[in-house]
Amino acid sequence: MLVVGLRWLAGLRWLAVGMGLAALGYGVDGLVTMSRATHPPQAARWLIGAVVLHDAVAVPVTAAVGLLVSRVVRAPYRAVVQGAMLVSAAVALASLPLWRGYGGSPDNPTVNPLPYGRNLAIVLGAVWAVAAVLIAVRARRARSGHAVPTVLAGSAELADSADSAELADSAG
Amino acid sequence: MPTGRLPHPPAALRRGPLREDAFPSRLHDPRVAALLGLWLGVTFGVCFLTGLVSHYMQHPPSWLAWPARPVWLYRVTQGLHVSTGMACVPLLLAKLWTVYPRLWEWPPVRSVAHALERLTIVPLVAGALFQLATGIANVAQWYRFRFFFTVTHYWVAWITIGALLVHVAAKVTVVRANVGPGRDARAHLTDRLTEPEPPGDGLSRRGLGIAVGTAAGLITATSAGQWVPGLAPLDLLAPRRPDIGPQGLPVNRSAVAARVVALARDPDYRLEVVGPRPFTLGLDELRAFDRHTVTLPITCVEGWSADGTWHGPRLRDLLDAAGIPPDATVRVESLEARGGYRASEVRPPHARDPLTLLATGLNGADLDLDHGYPARLIAPDRPGVLQTKWVHRVVMV
Repeated sequence: MLVVGLRWLAGLRWLAVGMGLAALGYGVDGLVTMSRATHPPQAARWLIGAVVLHDAVAVPVTAAVGLLVSRVVRAPYRAVVQGAMLVSAAVALASLPLWRGYGGSPDNPTVNPLPYGRNLAIVLGAVWAVAAVLIAVRARRARSGHAVPTVLAGSAELADSADSAELADSAG
Repeated sequence: MPTGRLPHPPAALRRGPLREDAFPSRLHDPRVAALLGLWLGVTFGVCFLTGLVSHYMQHPPSWLAWPARPVWLYRVTQGLHVSTGMACVPLLLAKLWTVYPRLWEWPPVRSVAHALERLTIVPLVAGALFQLATGIANVAQWYRFRFFFTVTHYWVAWITIGALLVHVAAKVTVVRANVGPGRDARAHLTDRLTEPEPPGDGLSRRGLGIAVGTAAGLITATSAGQWVPGLAPLDLLAPRRPDIGPQGLPVNRSAVAARVVALARDPDYRLEVVGPRPFTLGLDELRAFDRHTVTLPITCVEGWSADGTWHGPRLRDLLDAAGIPPDATVRVESLEARGGYRASEVRPPHARDPLTLLATGLNGADLDLDHGYPARLIAPDRPGVLQTKWVHRVVMV
């Protein structure tokens, strides 16, 4: 079904380009026209700021953390640590205003009413508990001479470069 | 793309991230990017369509009459909108990671067509990041921006989905050559083909997929309890809990924020129903008016929803008493002096629905001030911002 759908889409791709450009233009026009609500200079700052923050800060920082992990964490465990870091960073980012205590208003305690710092610790604790179990399993297999399962990592030595760690994707 | 080929820039400029081997990770792979892209196409499609539903429910064109059934429709569309958007965080960031070397591709532009295609990536990435960031800020009611959220989020949605369509059209051959059964037979379509995965000690491609899926699943599981009945015990990282609030129900806008405290508590409060036979009722008369009890969810545009048991007269009985005809639209007005949501229009499907009340009570007690005391509108399948609180007038339009 996917293959058929994609073939069908490929046949219609110039139509898709036309529709896409029309939708894009419609959006830009609306954003500029309804300037009292959209405040175009502000909106543009956030739009461009998001790209710059991601491309120039978040990705290089992620790469640097990845480089560090590749130096510090040994082979059969590195993939587990990277996976757990990715999950932790994504969960923390998606709930960032909550555990940072941003937002809400004093007259409405029903907005952001939970102890989010504690809750984030619970969720991340569970993530790293699972990671610890996976690491223990791998350590045991390594000691007993079994090959590490190839689900999360390959086996041969290949120096990981800065960007091979997929983790603290801290963008916004 | 053969048209308008541009000359190569001097090779001496090819330094730093522009070097050929600057990004050797096996995760920067066309097949990984294509699979993540397919998932993002689905999730952004869901967000766009459910967002349109919400937009047109709040701003219906004259030819469009939203149904009052099923009662849970808006709860599901808006819950999905917010939950899907939050689950996009790991998907989008992983996707951008896999294609990040393309930002530094050499030469930067090969042809006019290539330049135009790259140009449409800017609104796509900017729009996608903007939608997720502002959406997550808005559901937490964190307003660090000066633009009005709903209007800006709506227009940027059009920009994003338009750029996404162009992107899909530009990349569909790469996806076809790298994904799906029989893809080897389509390998001739492009030169962007997946390479066999080199060995390594870091996260593998499959490992990346597992980690991204786990992250999306965990985000959904710990936040969807704000709208999915039964998941509330898992609700650890959502901005709302459906059972936390006065009378066991959350509040979107408090009486203090709406500046109606004194007016709502005025003992001389009277409800005015304006039609061919206008009349007014004091609060005791309103409470005594043919009282009904219904169970309906409050379904907020911010994605949370919570069931309540409401008491009060049916709106249609009040309209009948005023001689307002069944095909008339009415406007329900709040005591609020100003603000975009001080009044809402109720069209016949909702105005005449037997479940639509002008509620004076909730869960067996008088309405809390923050829930709209002395009277509020509660109708099935209707965004919470249109369930007008602190109602003092119902007017035939």
